Amino acid sequence: MTTTAALTPEQLQRALRRSRQRAASRWRLFVNTPGRVVSCVIVVVFTLMAVVGPYLYPANLPIHPDNIYAPPSLAHPLGTDFEGTDTLALIVTGARYVLLAALIAAVITVVIGTAAGLAAGYYPRLAGSAIMRVTDFVLAIPGFPVLLVLSTIWHFSSVLQMGVALGVFGWGGIARAVRAQTLSLRERGFVEAARGLGLPGGHIIRAEVLPNVAPFIGMNLMLQLTGFIYTEVGLFFLGAVPYSTSNWGVMLNNAVFQANAVTSPRALAYLLSPLICILLITLALVTLANAVDEFFNPRLRRV
Amino acid sequence: MIEGRSITRTFAARRGMLGRRGVQALRGVDFTIPDRGAVSFIGESGCGKTTLGRILCGLEDFDGGDLIVAGRSMAGLKPGQRAPYHRRIQLIHQDPYSALNPTRTIGQILAAPLALRAGQRGEDRGWLEQRRAELLGFVGLDPDYVLPRYPHMLSGGMRQRVVIARALTVDPDVLVADEAVSMIDVSLRLGILQLLRDLRQAVGVSVLFITHDVATARYVGHGGQLYVIYRGTVVEQGDTDTVIQHPAHPYTQSLLSAIPVLRGIELPGPERVVPTGPLDERSEPPGCLFEPRCPFARADCRTAPPELGQLGGTEQRHACLHPARRSVVAVPAGTGAG
Amino acid sequence: MADTPAVCVRDLMVMFPTPDGPLPAVAGVSLDLARGQITGLVGESGSGKSTLALTLLNAVPDPGQVVSGSVIIDDVGDVLTLRRPELRRTRGARIGYVFQASQNSLNPLKPVGKQLLDLGRSHGVRDLRGFLHSARLLIDEMGLDAERVLASYQHELSGGMRQRVGIVLALVLNAHVLILDEPTTALDMLTQASVLEIIRKVHAQRHLTTLIISHDVGVVGDLADRMAVMYAGRIVEEGPTQEVLAAPKHPYTRGLLTAMPRITGDITEARPLPGRVPDLASVPRQGCVFRPRCPLATEVCGTAEPPVTVLGDRRFACFVAAGEAA
Repeated sequence: MTTTAALTPEQLQRALRRSRQRAASRWRLFVNTPGRVVSCVIVVVFTLMAVVGPYLYPANLPIHPDNIYAPPSLAHPLGTDFEGTDTLALIVTGARYVLLAALIAAVITVVIGTAAGLAAGYYPRLAGSAIMRVTDFVLAIPGFPVLLVLSTIWHFSSVLQMGVALGVFGWGGIARAVRAQTLSLRERGFVEAARGLGLPGGHIIRAEVLPNVAPFIGMNLMLQLTGFIYTEVGLFFLGAVPYSTSNWGVMLNNAVFQANAVTSPRALAYLLSPLICILLITLALVTLANAVDEFFNPRLRRV
Repeated sequence: MIEGRSITRTFAARRGMLGRRGVQALRGVDFTIPDRGAVSFIGESGCGKTTLGRILCGLEDFDGGDLIVAGRSMAGLKPGQRAPYHRRIQLIHQDPYSALNPTRTIGQILAAPLALRAGQRGEDRGWLEQRRAELLGFVGLDPDYVLPRYPHMLSGGMRQRVVIARALTVDPDVLVADEAVSMIDVSLRLGILQLLRDLRQAVGVSVLFITHDVATARYVGHGGQLYVIYRGTVVEQGDTDTVIQHPAHPYTQSLLSAIPVLRGIELPGPERVVPTGPLDERSEPPGCLFEPRCPFARADCRTAPPELGQLGGTEQRHACLHPARRSVVAVPAGTGAG
Repeated sequence: MADTPAVCVRDLMVMFPTPDGPLPAVAGVSLDLARGQITGLVGESGSGKSTLALTLLNAVPDPGQVVSGSVIIDDVGDVLTLRRPELRRTRGARIGYVFQASQNSLNPLKPVGKQLLDLGRSHGVRDLRGFLHSARLLIDEMGLDAERVLASYQHELSGGMRQRVGIVLALVLNAHVLILDEPTTALDMLTQASVLEIIRKVHAQRHLTTLIISHDVGVVGDLADRMAVMYAGRIVEEGPTQEVLAAPKHPYTRGLLTAMPRITGDITEARPLPGRVPDLASVPRQGCVFRPRCPLATEVCGTAEPPVTVLGDRRFACFVAAGEAA
């Protein structure tokens, strides 16, 4: 005895096509406004830079000692730096460190933060308070000053080290937020039902809670990336170990302190190039963060 | 069989009032749910009926009294040990929209508890899929239609059926339906009510139907017991149809009098009762809790709390010092105009 | 002989954009609200009843649009053609609207008294003291403690109290048309009964023209003098409540009454209505909208939408019922 209206094969086809369209249209959220299209292009360009960039240039960039701080020209579209190295080459090869370190840091914070938040939220009596103490401790640590002090003894010689250093101090916020979401999801009908049916805690966290927290994590990931880019660039701008001149932050440092680009117009291109890159990538990430939120949360979409 | 004996539950007061002033959600409730039986709990919001349902399912603890499940006393067990017993009592929630995980298909939602079951019984994937299709058939859904779909692609009535199917995956003894049809369209409610009623025979499960809408209780609870709950106490109990037609307690009479009358096909009951006084009465008098609002209250009602007693040789019980049978419920209006 | 209806809706069509193109939530509805009477509008989710109610205020939310039709109110004219200032004056002063689950009318950050004053001020009431006084009288009539209510915030009041405050807000500017959208949903039985009693009282005392919208046939059946049944954006049946309930003409009305859990009647005679409640996208594009679920459907029902048959005081749109009545 079925009560569903029997669907003809054509109706079923149409219904499935419509749901596939709706699924496909979700990806279109990332390109449905001009701002988002531009942001996607920016992200793609920088990703390519990070991945392919260093292979486009020789390991040691050529220096032109007789052509330092040159203004933009055909041979050097963005001018040259204090050694005469082409600024464009510096930008392209410098992308990898900055972006990769930020990515590693973001992944670390998301992984640790989510795990901590889920455990604290789902087992509030068992693990909750202990984990939250640790989280509060981490949150209280002033990340940037600590890193600055650390940099005097630790030279962040690899991308991984930078990423880890940033990530280890940054997971507190995500942990708190995920815990709050988990606590409220815990009372939702389907989670209570899963408990009542005897499903094990591990399964519930993985299959019931996590997919519903994912949208928030996705959006947060984007915003964390921008935060870490700033932190890194800030560290290098303030002079924490200029190990590589092609690092954007180091370029800013050189431009301001050595080339006096702020006061003298000569090396303006050298100053503005990394600045504009940072600006573009963070703008793009923030714009797309909204799209990520809408992607997961149907109620925010406009028809 | 499930038995509740003097179940008490107090919630801590929120306003930070020092002392023991908590909200008494349940004040010593007795009830029995027989095998394959149908029991209804009727009352307004805040009367404790939902809390009682949740205590049965193990989602809330009780402070006093005892709950006997399959012969075992729950009070004698530690909370952690009670889980397997409470699993025999499954909750059908009011809101079919939040009762299903929006990120999983119906197939996945039903497979999770069935996989657990299959593991316990040493069965394989084939058994799981067959059982899943069988359960969907029990609840009147076409497996080919619902299995690949996500919850938001189904109507409210269908979702509720999926919830019922999911509850059946663990072969429960009791289904607790807490306002199970109040968020479903009117034309679809009857289907769910009849399903719950039919499952008693088809699957051998008992149904505990919790609602403020007495009319719906008629369909599920026919032939079973009806409990009327007011502010955490049972004020009347008896056979469903008898209590509806011949209520003895003034609160039951008020509830039944409040049911809208369909002009043209119904006439109002001759002795309708309207409670007096403010609607949200929260005082704690030493006598009968309903006394401040009772139009028939007498002097002794204020001082002596009534016990649940029997009315002149019938099976019906009520907690009133001066009960009187009154015909309050609407009656059909003769033969309708053609 | 002021027997003209207080509100005349004619051929109203309200469209909403969907992935399949614009579709009508209200498809050619014509309805009269008889002066001094309570009219009830019954419909399930997706029937378009709430959209219809909002259209009477010309308040259809984006992205919905009124495509054609008129809503003529007594001394105001066609609400749909009014300009902004005139429309604002009409809402509240001529038409009182009580929203579903009155939480929505009440600002959670302001006490009720302040909201009343805001309402008065925005409608240019000069004598605010007198205004507040009449509000107090209204609140008293509702059976509430006026001083306490005026000083309370929305969350300090129970559901039933909020609903009554909603009614007060709707009537305090002496509107003569009152629209209540699902006034008792989410209320308990006893609270519902008292709110319905208040609506009856206030309607009689102020000689209002009232429209009550509900999915609960019982509420409409108890309170309304006339009732209209809505399905998939169309009014399928309309007439005096007693007649419509005692002898329904349209198969949907009949099916609904048979499928409704009721306190009287033989429970073995109850039959569920087959099929699903239609939404915008699943309404049949050709023929009668109820056809997929109708036990009496014939050939002709699939060809065109049935015209409205008028039978004395009643109207209905069904080919088969029209044939029987002939």
